[in-house]
Amino acid sequence: MSSAAKFRRSHWQIMCDVIFALIIRELKTRFGANRLGYFWALAEPMAQAGILVLMFSLIGRSSLAGVPVAMFMLVAILPFKLFSKILPQLSAAIEANKGLLGYRQVTAADPIISRLIIEVITFFIVYVLLMGIMAWIGFSVLPDDLLQLLAVSGLTLVMATGMGLMLCAATTWWKDTGKIVSMIMQPMFIVSGIMFSATMIPQQYWFLFVWNPLFHVTELSRDAYFSAYQTPVGSFEYLGLWAIASFTLGLMAFQVNRQRFITS
Amino acid sequence: MIYFDNVSKYYPTKQGRHYVFRELNLSLPTDRNIAVLGPNGVGKSTLIRMIGGTDLPNAGRIHSPQNISWPLGLQGGLQGSMTARENVRFVARIHGYKDTKPIEERVQEFAEIGKYFDEPVKTYSSGMRSRVTFGLTMAFDFDFDVLLIDELGAVGDANFRKKSEDLLLSKYETTKLIMVSHSVPSLKKFCQAGLLIKDKQLHFFDDLNEAIELYEFTYAKR
Repeated sequence: MSSAAKFRRSHWQIMCDVIFALIIRELKTRFGANRLGYFWALAEPMAQAGILVLMFSLIGRSSLAGVPVAMFMLVAILPFKLFSKILPQLSAAIEANKGLLGYRQVTAADPIISRLIIEVITFFIVYVLLMGIMAWIGFSVLPDDLLQLLAVSGLTLVMATGMGLMLCAATTWWKDTGKIVSMIMQPMFIVSGIMFSATMIPQQYWFLFVWNPLFHVTELSRDAYFSAYQTPVGSFEYLGLWAIASFTLGLMAFQVNRQRFITS
Repeated sequence: MIYFDNVSKYYPTKQGRHYVFRELNLSLPTDRNIAVLGPNGVGKSTLIRMIGGTDLPNAGRIHSPQNISWPLGLQGGLQGSMTARENVRFVARIHGYKDTKPIEERVQEFAEIGKYFDEPVKTYSSGMRSRVTFGLTMAFDFDFDVLLIDELGAVGDANFRKKSEDLLLSKYETTKLIMVSHSVPSLKKFCQAGLLIKDKQLHFFDDLNEAIELYEFTYAKR
C-alpha cells in the first residue's frame, strides 16, 4: 500500500491546500520581511486621512457636507485603497509565483485567489480597526446602512478583480503595464471625490466626474455610511454595470491567455 | 499507463507555428523505466514537462491514473525569493501534508547545503539549486509511481550524483523512471525501454538497444 493512496484528495481539497500554502507564502514575503509589515497596511490610510484632515482644518473646515472631515475622508479613502491595491497585486500575481506554477497542483487562478483573499481580509481588518480608533477618539462610527456599505464594497471588489485579471493578462504581453497603472492611479485619487463630494460641486460640472466608477464608489459609500449625506449622483446601476463588464472581460482575458501564464 | 490523446504542441515563432509534436496517440507503459531519446531541440524537455503537467499541449490531452512527479530538472520548481526551507514547506503543503517538519529535515539532510538552506534560493549556485530540487523529490516520501527526470547528470558533483543514483536504484521497486539524458551509458544503467522522438511523433521500443540503434541511424551525421 503506497502512502500516495492515503493522499488521494478531491480537486476541491487540492485547491484549498494550494491556496493555503500560497497565502502563507505571500504573507511571509510581504509582511515577514519586516515585522512592521502589517502595521504599515494600517498606518498608510490613517496617515493619508490624517494629512487631509489637517489640511482642511487649517483652512478652517471641521465638517464637510454635514459630516466630520476625518470620517468624510476615511469612508472614501478605504474603498479607494481596496481598489488601488488589488490592481497591482493581481497584475503581478502570476509573475511573482512563476516558479511555483511548475507543480501540477498549482493553476494560474490560485495565486489570484490567494491575493484576493489577503487583500479582502486586510481591508476588513483595517476598516474595523480604524473605525474602532475613531470611536475611541469620540466620533460616531456606526454606519447608517451597513447592507448598502457592504454592497458598494462588494461591487468595488468585483470591479477591481475584473480589471486586475485584465492587467494580469496584459502583463504577459507587455511587462511595463504595472507602471502605467500606478501612473493612472495617482490622478484617480484626486478625481474620485475623496476630498469633495458631489454636493460641493455645481451641478453643471458633475459631468466631469460621473463617468468615473470610483466616484460612484465614494458617493455611494458616504451615502451608505452617513444619514446626513444623500448622494445626488451615485448610482448602483452604473457601478454594477462597470463591475459586471470588467469582471466578464477580465475572466475572458484570463482564460484566453492562460497558456501564456504557464509557458514562460 | 500514461495516455496521449491526439496531443499536439507547437511554439509560435517568427516564421509561424513550429510544431514539436503532431497528433500523438500513444499509451506509455509505467511498469518499466523509459529513456527518452532525441537530439537537442526535438522536444524532449517539452515532453517531460507536458507529462508532468508543467506545460500544456495546444490540443489534446495527456492523462494517467498514476501518481506522476513534477519534472525533476535544473530549471523551475523553486521560487527564487523564498528560502529552500520555505520552498520545501510549500511543496509539502500543496501535496496535502499538514506537518511539514519531518520533510524539511529530510531534504535538509539530503541536500547538504548547510546554512544556505535558510537563504533565498536566488543566491544559490546552480549546483546547490539542483541539490535542493533533487533532495525535494527524493526525500519526500510521496511514493510516486513515475519519476520524471530531465538530465540527471547535471545534478551536483560526483559525490552527490553517486548518492542520488543509489537512492534512485533503491526506489526501483515502487517508482519507475522516465528520463532524458544525453549520456547513453547512464540511460543503459537505469532504463530498459526507449522512447524515440522522430518526425514529431513518439516511437516506443520495449528494448532500449533497438531504440538507441534507430536513434543513431536516424540522427547520426554521415
